[in-house]
Amino acid sequence: MRRFLPAACLTVCLMAALALAAQELQLPPTVSAGSGFAIATSGSGSATFYLIGPSYTGRREVQLGQEIRVRPQEVRSAGRYLAILRSGGASQSGSFYVVAAKPASLSFLAHPSRIPVGQRGSVIGVAFVFDNWHNLLRRPEDVEFRLATKNAPAAAQSVRTRDGAAWILMNSGSKAGNAQFVAALDGIEQTRVIQQVASDPCHLQIRAERSPRGILVQTAPVRDCSGNPVSDGTVVTFTANGPAGLSTVDVPVKKDIAQVELNIPGPATISVASGVVMGNEVKVGGQP
Amino acid sequence: MKLASVLAVLLVLSVASLAADGPRVQFDTSHIGPRQMEDVTGRNIPRDWGRAWQTLAIAYAQNRPDLLSRYFTGFAQQKLTAGIAAQEKSGVRTRYIDHGHKLAAYFYSPDGGAIELHDTADLEIQVLDGNNLVHSERVTLRYIGLMTPAADHWEVRLLESVPSF
Repeated sequence: MRRFLPAACLTVCLMAALALAAQELQLPPTVSAGSGFAIATSGSGSATFYLIGPSYTGRREVQLGQEIRVRPQEVRSAGRYLAILRSGGASQSGSFYVVAAKPASLSFLAHPSRIPVGQRGSVIGVAFVFDNWHNLLRRPEDVEFRLATKNAPAAAQSVRTRDGAAWILMNSGSKAGNAQFVAALDGIEQTRVIQQVASDPCHLQIRAERSPRGILVQTAPVRDCSGNPVSDGTVVTFTANGPAGLSTVDVPVKKDIAQVELNIPGPATISVASGVVMGNEVKVGGQP
Repeated sequence: MKLASVLAVLLVLSVASLAADGPRVQFDTSHIGPRQMEDVTGRNIPRDWGRAWQTLAIAYAQNRPDLLSRYFTGFAQQKLTAGIAAQEKSGVRTRYIDHGHKLAAYFYSPDGGAIELHDTADLEIQVLDGNNLVHSERVTLRYIGLMTPAADHWEVRLLESVPSF
């Protein structure tokens, strides 16, 4: 009896191993993420089933000849999975790929967060498309990018993804203010706010008049070429050319205008500039 | 005391090795767009990709998800951390023996904030149940990766194996 038992165990193990060696693991080449499926087995006896994927490793006992159910939660991460069926020292293995399911989220990178109006190709949007389990969707999808400012028509363009990524360069709008930069796909939207600010001053105009202490020079409201008031702090340079020579003063715009009182008793010609933009010239006579 | 000194030296050597010796990475930027890659970035990307893979192999071999945070972030870190937790729970470990990578950058975002890569990796994968080797294979696998810049290096934000490019 003592000699018989080990021999019987050896025989059973050998038969199970032979049965396993004779079978193939029937695996689908690809599976959609989060979708369960069954693996058929043949033979008889017990075996150990291993499933190893990007974020899952499992081991369980199964009966040969019965289906092995792979549960949806075991195949949520996209990537290669290794399936191993092992019994009595023999094993069968195979691999399959889990691919992303339907689009569920967008990762949207927008740059910069603040930009002058009227800049061509300067607003950058990059969108990556993911499914519900953060798997990258590699099949082409059309992502719509929209850039809209209040009281101005929105600019929109559709871009097809390549390997999950879509990108665009858009022009900044002509109206200063917060613009909504949106990436959208199948009802999924991600919004970023781009602060559009006035561009460089345009059409500088000054007026100058005698004052008790010299010459008071003041700009008209300083605006960019689209009519947006320039930001406070924008520097305007006044230059006075008088009997004592040339004098220059930089003045920041405050509440749309820049002004300065020049201590020049005699006649002078006053001009204005900001950056590369020149304004008008004004001649002021001397003090009576 | 002597044993402690030896262990300390081994630890230092292992950390130095982790920092210095990654797997071999060939890097191709000939199909990159829309932004062209700067020289420094072109050197740092394969260096950090190799170090990330080295970190991944050690983290899986030693069940050490804490190692991942140096070179992985975002979804990649979350998924690998979950993978290590699952293998620890099951008692089944995966060992990666890395024989090198052919890495190609094909998308570099215009603002320089993200690089998408194709990696063809030559790997030996061993599966151990406890201390028993239950499976071993040498395979060529394809990966899609997404890297984003950190303070002084690049991090892997996404790492997915795919059937084909």
